[in-house]
Amino acid sequence: MLQAPGEAMIIKEDNVTHSFCGLASVGWMYQKIKDSFFLILGTHTCAHFLQNALGMMIFAKPRFGIALIEEGDLSKNEPTLDEVLAEIKADHNPSVIFLLSSCTPEVMKVDFKGLADNLSTPETPVLFVPASGLVYNFTQAEDSVLHALVPHCPVAPAGEKSVVFLGSVNDATADDLRAEAEELGIRVGGFLPESRFDRMPAIGPDTILAPIQPYLSRTAVKLERERGAKTLHSLFPFGPDGTRVFWEDLAREFGIEVDLRDREKAAWEKIRRQTDMLKGKKVFLTADTMMELPLGRFLKSAGAEVVECSSAYINKKFLAKELQALEGVRVVEQPNFHRQLEDIKRERPDMVVTSLMTANPFVGHGFIVKWSMEFMLMPIHGWSGVFSLANLFVSPLDRREKLPEFDREVWLEGVMPAAE
Amino acid sequence: MRLAFWLYEGTALHGISRVTNSMKGVHTVYHAPQGDDYITATYTMLERTPEFPALSISVVRGRDLAQGVSRLPATLQQVEEHYHPELSVIAPSCSTALLQEDLRQLAAQSGISQEKLMVYAVNPFRVTENEAADGLFTELVRRYASQGAKSSVPSVNLLGFTSLGFHLKANLTSIRRMLMTLGVKVNVVAPWGAGIDDLKRLPEAWLTIAPFREIGQTAAGYLEQEFGVPAEYGTPLGVEPTLRWLRSVIEKLNAVGAGMGAAPIAMPELRDFSLDGQSAPSGVPWFARTADMESFSGKKAFVFGDATTTVAMVKFLRDELGMQVIGAGTYLARHADWVRTELEGYLPGELMVTERFQEVAKFIEDAMPDLVCGTQMERHSCRKLDVPCMVVCPPTHIENHLLGYYPFLGFDGADVIADRVYISCKLGLEKHLIDFFGDAGLEYEEMEPSLGENGAAAPAAAAGAAVPEEGGMQWTDDAETMLKKVPFFVRKKVRKNTENFALENGETEVSVEVFRRAKESLGG
Repeated sequence: MLQAPGEAMIIKEDNVTHSFCGLASVGWMYQKIKDSFFLILGTHTCAHFLQNALGMMIFAKPRFGIALIEEGDLSKNEPTLDEVLAEIKADHNPSVIFLLSSCTPEVMKVDFKGLADNLSTPETPVLFVPASGLVYNFTQAEDSVLHALVPHCPVAPAGEKSVVFLGSVNDATADDLRAEAEELGIRVGGFLPESRFDRMPAIGPDTILAPIQPYLSRTAVKLERERGAKTLHSLFPFGPDGTRVFWEDLAREFGIEVDLRDREKAAWEKIRRQTDMLKGKKVFLTADTMMELPLGRFLKSAGAEVVECSSAYINKKFLAKELQALEGVRVVEQPNFHRQLEDIKRERPDMVVTSLMTANPFVGHGFIVKWSMEFMLMPIHGWSGVFSLANLFVSPLDRREKLPEFDREVWLEGVMPAAE
Repeated sequence: MRLAFWLYEGTALHGISRVTNSMKGVHTVYHAPQGDDYITATYTMLERTPEFPALSISVVRGRDLAQGVSRLPATLQQVEEHYHPELSVIAPSCSTALLQEDLRQLAAQSGISQEKLMVYAVNPFRVTENEAADGLFTELVRRYASQGAKSSVPSVNLLGFTSLGFHLKANLTSIRRMLMTLGVKVNVVAPWGAGIDDLKRLPEAWLTIAPFREIGQTAAGYLEQEFGVPAEYGTPLGVEPTLRWLRSVIEKLNAVGAGMGAAPIAMPELRDFSLDGQSAPSGVPWFARTADMESFSGKKAFVFGDATTTVAMVKFLRDELGMQVIGAGTYLARHADWVRTELEGYLPGELMVTERFQEVAKFIEDAMPDLVCGTQMERHSCRKLDVPCMVVCPPTHIENHLLGYYPFLGFDGADVIADRVYISCKLGLEKHLIDFFGDAGLEYEEMEPSLGENGAAAPAAAAGAAVPEEGGMQWTDDAETMLKKVPFFVRKKVRKNTENFALENGETEVSVEVFRRAKESLGG
């Protein structure tokens, strides 16, 4: 494969893998934006996915739902969502409704943009969010949601220099990041997204966009183009290494020179027990959440040997610094799971970071496994997240040490007759 | 177009993969967009599969569609290369079904022998989980079952036991235990754990046992018609149905045996079915007659589930535990007529047939039964209402996939169900005591923030009449105070019953007087 100078080598495969579609983002986005409703125009499959794979039970009144395309709807020219919207408004009175696309209406060539525009009212905008598995993977629909929110972010006037953090994190993490920035003398414009639709941050030509999740490149590009904002291209704030570089680079954008090396050192010291365990361990990251590159980079910095770091999509510009830091590591985009499985069986890594769909079978094959989705749900950002992040990797190692020897011939008999 | 939040049945793809995930040497290839193989997670997480489920996705991307490219042939080749399945079942998802591609032709381009491929394309907008599972399983039986000599000893097939089935392994164990006691060999269990060769051997059995209306009975019917293997369709849930089932199994096996000159099977002593071999096979008949259980004759139960379970549970609760069944329903419209026929004379009203959990929850809220037997969703609805609920059938939650031996079928199953009914319901003597003496000091268990309930000063509660609960009726302060004397765990039910009484009598609010009248007429 041809390689531009200074660019890490990325092996590209055919994407035969096990992961979720963009609708998975609903799982955390509806909780993040508290006055929203997430409406999926989809089928029984979409509903079954949300209730099963994400384990989303219906709490009192869920702020997400599926406008269900049934057989009779297939022959209609355009879906009529007026009644569904009236029901949602009556029950929830949301400030905003996100209309998510899915595969079937995309195949039906539903004009989602037009549909959303028609349903929109000044009181309750309806925003189109492309999320279908025909195009989007797992976390990528968060990018679509933020993309749709851009017109609803006020314009910050020129000269108002501040940082807007890009990516949804829980409120406690947001508070920590805000405090960190202010301590460094950086003015904080807010977060995209904030927890409420009416409080989205102002973004303008002097806004610095600081991405805190590695899968939001389209929103960043849109804001650069439409608002003249500038995107920080740094490491993502995960781990002592990423956090130091992130804050130093961000401060520099504000003309502030800081040296956080002591802070980084202290943070590494705090997780000494964990890094001692990770040192020299072979870790394999199969593709799932698109957080793999920063996670792999942290592992590498912590002294682990990253055997393979795979991700569904890799935006080379958005992830440039992470790729640089991963130099020497096998980085694969759109990996083929069958090939990975054979490599893993041959290379026998000490830990496999993988999806819900493949975690237990890898354990059955004798590997130590970490669910990749846990990194989505735990506060691992910034200095305050260092400990959680390190522990996530170490806890399966700890646990395995505590459990007695396991003879799979004995203890797996009859568990899965299909495989015996 | 309707707004849905949650559905009882899974998709056709789910049904298909439940069958293939059960089987040896059979692989499913989803011809579908990214993410439609999410189903894999239900097996690896709920069944905790220690091996990779034999499910692969042939990813359909928007770009491929625009360029007219299909990855199916390449995916089939990869599956062949890595896993060497004896059969790959190719299935489209809801979106790719609309593309109207010729999947057979596409599959043929892989160069893999047609004998090792099967396209199973049902209309995913019409066919859902159970029908697809039953349909595919029948197709597989049709394709592979072949004439063979009858086994020399009495043997049976056990059909319909399928991945993610409710208490699947325990039910299978319970059935196996009974067959062992009869001295009957199991020829094939399918699809759970069966390979293609096992399907071929199906006609060697003397009898096919297919206890589930949803999956397996169509294939059993085919074996009966095509190979003359008689079938037993009864569901041995409860003591009496189990006894009937045993007699019927023996009779049918003996009919086959007679033609082969085999010695007839006799019904063993019933103690031989017990776990220790020296007791009654079930505690239920005695349990149901004990004084403690007397109070159960007044308990009202509601059952909602798949077809097989709804029928069997209603009968068990009424016939064996002597409870009152105030209603029942199923989410399987396809089997509703069968359920209605089976439950003739059992239900006070119409059978509820719905896919909408909200309707079921509404019924429960209005009727406030003493026990609900339902799916994980009813359990969820009942938690909010503080109504006792036990999960008896899919859809399930991980907490319904337990390690211990908790069958629902057979004598062992009758005991398990009776225990669960007993511990789910508010208990007999304890309830009498609490009813008589009030809250028995249990008030502190109430979760709601107490607004001056214990006589403490609480100005907010004192101001004006109490705020009605959502959708409820106005209560006067005095009536509300009186209601507080009712034990907390039946308070919601009493509130609802009283409001229903008030409505029926044209009252607009609940006063002490209305409350008293309600108590008298409802037997508070």
